[in-house]
Parts: sequence; structure tokens; C-alpha cells
Amino acid sequence: MRLLPVITQSTVLKRAAIAWLVSLAAAMSPALAHHSFAMFDFATTTVIKGTVSEFRWTNPHVILTVEAAPKGAAAAAIWSLELTSPGNLTRMGWTRHSFKPGDRIELEFNPLRDGKHGGAFKKATLVDTGQVLTSNLRDAEKPGLK
Amino acid sequence: MRCIHSLALAALVFGALISAPGSHAEQSETDSAPQPKDWADLAKLPDWSGVWTPNISDQDARAVSDPIPWNAAAAAEVARLVAQEKAGKPKGLFVNCLPEAMPSWMLITHNALEFLFSPGRVTILGEADGNRLRRIYTDGRAHPADPDPTFHGHSIGHWEGDTLVVDTVAVLPETYIAVSEAVGIPNNGDLHVIERIHLVDAQTLHDDLEITAPHVLTKPWKTTRILFRQRARKYNIVEGVCLQGSFAEGVGKRGQAIFVPVPQTPWGNPVIRDSR
Repeated sequence: MRLLPVITQSTVLKRAAIAWLVSLAAAMSPALAHHSFAMFDFATTTVIKGTVSEFRWTNPHVILTVEAAPKGAAAAAIWSLELTSPGNLTRMGWTRHSFKPGDRIELEFNPLRDGKHGGAFKKATLVDTGQVLTSNLRDAEKPGLK
Repeated sequence: MRCIHSLALAALVFGALISAPGSHAEQSETDSAPQPKDWADLAKLPDWSGVWTPNISDQDARAVSDPIPWNAAAAAEVARLVAQEKAGKPKGLFVNCLPEAMPSWMLITHNALEFLFSPGRVTILGEADGNRLRRIYTDGRAHPADPDPTFHGHSIGHWEGDTLVVDTVAVLPETYIAVSEAVGIPNNGDLHVIERIHLVDAQTLHDDLEITAPHVLTKPWKTTRILFRQRARKYNIVEGVCLQGSFAEGVGKRGQAIFVPVPQTPWGNPVIRDSR
């Protein structure tokens, strides 16, 4: 008879997975999809180089996920960038194919005020093609735009 | 006496018969079918076709240039919300995907809208956050005596020359008079909004708003919002379903395409998996 359970690596991984799901459930708030931009620090610009892991072209806000190691950081981390809507981005020359997983990019964004790995997208340069993408609606404040 | 009643009744019936849908519909519980003249009269209205994009920089500037006359309690709450935002813990007023409502849709939207003219009505259609719409009755009707409160209220309008004057009441008290997505105060009831919407040049539209909210403002707040006309097709209004971002595309047990809820932060942002 064992008094203590044997903790295998598999058990540890399972527990870690469950803990992650529990933390997700705690953080999960259903029906909250109009992402507020008020949590971003628009006075600060952060620059990172990384690789696109996901590009979600979805209302109300497009999400770009990038794997990148900030300067001086030992390990790469996942960064989540928020943009305006597909409609607004279409008007600025974007399409749902503007980024694809694996694209190497240099990225500028306004970081989350709480220091987590996320921010409001400002500008990205695709390393392989040199194409620059921006998303500032305030740059398009005039009538008759082409 | 009976004769007078009969005459009055005849006059009423005659009045109903000759009433055009664009002019005397308030006397009737039924809307008349539009006649060719009603459609032709639409051509006399100013040209508001195309898609209109907001001047967001001007929205920001007017937060300073057109200060809101909050009462003391509302001003204290606004100061608290501003401090909360600066501390990095903003209150997300609209993260629940309920409509910005009137007047905040007009005040703080970053999204395009369009106007549709039809006999007896102007309809405003917005893009993001659920493709909002406002129905403005221009057929001469009055507000209902006891309208059900709604997010966009009950709107009646009339044309003064080329200016559409819109009167809106019956907005839900819980909806915000918003300065931004993080700072706003519920109107607390008895909200009344008067708008004068007009072209200031061929491609620029102004919405001059006068907002009366006696439970949170000390006097009516007057401000203006500016919209720019776009005709390039890439500006055409597209679908914008607010709750779509709460879901990701997934595959069900039988291989069918399904929506799967996405874990989100209290601010409505997707949870970041930054540790692997």
C-alpha cells in the first residue's frame, strides 16, 4: 500500500495542464468581445522581432499572435497584438492574407499597461519582402480616400 | 349635434384619405404605402450617399474643447475612472458587446456608417460592434406617449432646408454618455438628444448634438462630430458582429465546422498564452 502517490512526469504535465485550464476558466469572461483599447499604454512603443504564429481576421478586432524574444530575454514568448476591425483594415490596404504563420516580422506596438505580453499593433515590416503595414485610423482622416 | 359629429368624422376620414405617407402619418396607426411622389421627393433631399468615416482626432480634441458639464457626483466618478485608466486598470464600458447606444455611438465610434433615405424615414447603419442601426421617422409622427426604452431610443426627424433635425428620447438609463471606451457615466434616465445633421462642404458632414441628461449634467452639453465621405468601394460597409471575437473556428465531434469559445480577460481580450 502506497501512502503517497507516485508523481510521474506525465502526472506533473497533466496537473500543469489542469492548472492552466483552471486559470483560463477564472480569467474567462463570456460575451466580452469588444476588446477595450484602454488597457494599452499609448505613450510607449515597444519593438520586437519575431515570427507570426496566428493571424485571426475576426470582428470586432483582428488579433495577431507573434512568437518573439524581447531584447535581453532568454526565451521566446507568445505576444498577442490587437488591431482594429477587418473592415477598417481593409480600407488601409490589408487583407485576411496580410500575415501567415511563419512570416518573420519586425513589430512596433503600444504595450499593455500591466506588463503582460501584449499590446496594440502600430506597425509591422515583413522581413522577407520589406512590406510595411500600419493601422492608424487617424492617418486616414479626410474624404475621398482611394 | 349629431350632424357636427358626422361632419367631423367625414373630415377625419377625408384627411386620412388624402394624407401622404411623408406628411401626416402621425394621425394614423397604419403607414400608407409610398406613392411615386414620395419616392420622387427623396431626390430633393441633400446627397448623403457613400460611406462616412469619423474624424477620430476631432473626437479626442473635443473632449477638451467641449467639456461635458457633469454634475458633482458624475464629475467625481469621471475623475475616478480616468485615474483607474491611467493606473492600467480601465473600466471597459463596452466589452460586454452591448451597443454603445445613443448618444455614445455618435460620440466615440471609430467605425464607418451610412445613411439610407426612404419615404418617411432616415436609417443610419453602422459597421462594427454589431452593425448598429438607428431608425429616424421623418413622416411627421410624434414620439409615442409611453415608449419602451431602448439602446438607441425613439427618434423623429424633420428637414429644415438641408439639415436633418433629429429628436431622440426613451434611451435606456443604463447606457453611457461616454468620453472614451473607458470613461463614461450612465445617463440615469430622462435623456434627450437633439441633433442637427448637415453637410458643411461637399464631402464633410457635421452632427451637432445637444444632449440633455438632467440626472448627470448641470446643463445641456453641446458638441459636434465630424464625418468624411468615402466613395472607394473598399469603404463599403461590411459585417461587424461584436461577439464573433469571443469564438474561434473549431471542429465538432462529427467533423462539422463549429464555433468554440475563446478564453478572455476581464477586458475582453484573448487570454495570452505567454508561458509554454
